Amino acid sequence: MPEIVLEAEVSRPLGSSAARRLRAEGKIPGIVYGHGTEPVAVAVVGRDLRVALSGEAGTNALLSLRAGGKTYLALARELQRHPVRGTVTHVDFQIVRRDEVIGADVPIVLLGEAIEVHHGDGLVDQQLFTLPVHARPADIPTSVEVDISGLTIGAVIRVGDLSLPAGVSVDLDEDMAVVSGVPPRVQGAETEAEGEGAAPAGGEAGGDAAGATGSGDQEG
Amino acid sequence: MLMPRKVKHRKQQRGRLTGAAKGGTTVTFGDFGIQALEPGWLTARQIEAARIAMTRHVRRGGKIWIRVFPDKPVTQKPAETRMGSGKGNPEHWVAVVRPGRVLFELAGVEQDLAQAAMERAIQKLPMKARFVVRPGTHGASEVQV
Repeated sequence: MPEIVLEAEVSRPLGSSAARRLRAEGKIPGIVYGHGTEPVAVAVVGRDLRVALSGEAGTNALLSLRAGGKTYLALARELQRHPVRGTVTHVDFQIVRRDEVIGADVPIVLLGEAIEVHHGDGLVDQQLFTLPVHARPADIPTSVEVDISGLTIGAVIRVGDLSLPAGVSVDLDEDMAVVSGVPPRVQGAETEAEGEGAAPAGGEAGGDAAGATGSGDQEG
Repeated sequence: MLMPRKVKHRKQQRGRLTGAAKGGTTVTFGDFGIQALEPGWLTARQIEAARIAMTRHVRRGGKIWIRVFPDKPVTQKPAETRMGSGKGNPEHWVAVVRPGRVLFELAGVEQDLAQAAMERAIQKLPMKARFVVRPGTHGASEVQV
């Protein structure tokens, strides 16, 4: 995997106000750490970061981070996002070596259409959206593909069923479900659930009446 | 309707609604979600109304997650009561919602149907909210700047 070059400014001012001013300029504050080096506070241009992490490798792209005359081989790790806007507010860059095995979360992509599940009015229930893998930085797959065209209702595709590239390992339990074919909701159960929803409402109305009586007593 | 089975204290103080949500701001279980854009109290009735609106629009298939729980009791004094004589009686339950909080999630349906269903549900909510898609899926970018 060829690394993507990303320019970063060093010696950015620290603190929340300074970080806010940086963000207003279209820059994203970040930190570079790893391998026993002293952490370096950096700032990257937001647009450049988006381009770097929107490639084929996604957020697991191997970056060649140029900061303060030095070049770090790094991965973007924790991306902090604004709770409403969803924009990246801070990014961690972890320095890595080409020959060391590191952990990364790889997205799971479902391929094909679960025809049997759809014919039976069932639901494809994806339970695992990312797979935590261990691999060398260059071996981290862009995604793990799961073919669900043969999925049936009641069937489960587990972590052990996934085909991973060479040099990639998973430390999850092999029996953990990735995706399953769920039977359709029973019509009776649905109405029952709605009926159940209505019952406490009646109960609450009763509570209101009791409350009114209670307050009457207080007034008296 | 949703309500706690038992509580340690029957009545609570109102609290403040400043700031943004601290957690629960991403679509975690499903493919689509409703995200609050304003703070507010979401009553158990409103949660139920939104859930029913979504379920009825989707009709078949689909799975819904309710990401908020009304665990805060709200008291009211009866009508035409003189002030004083202590705090009112617990009347209903609310969930405290701050901007950014994902309220509902939906999976197992097409995006168009999910959006239509969730927009109906948004009509039942007391605050501004929007339809959101899990980042990295359905053409939504993973990194927004």
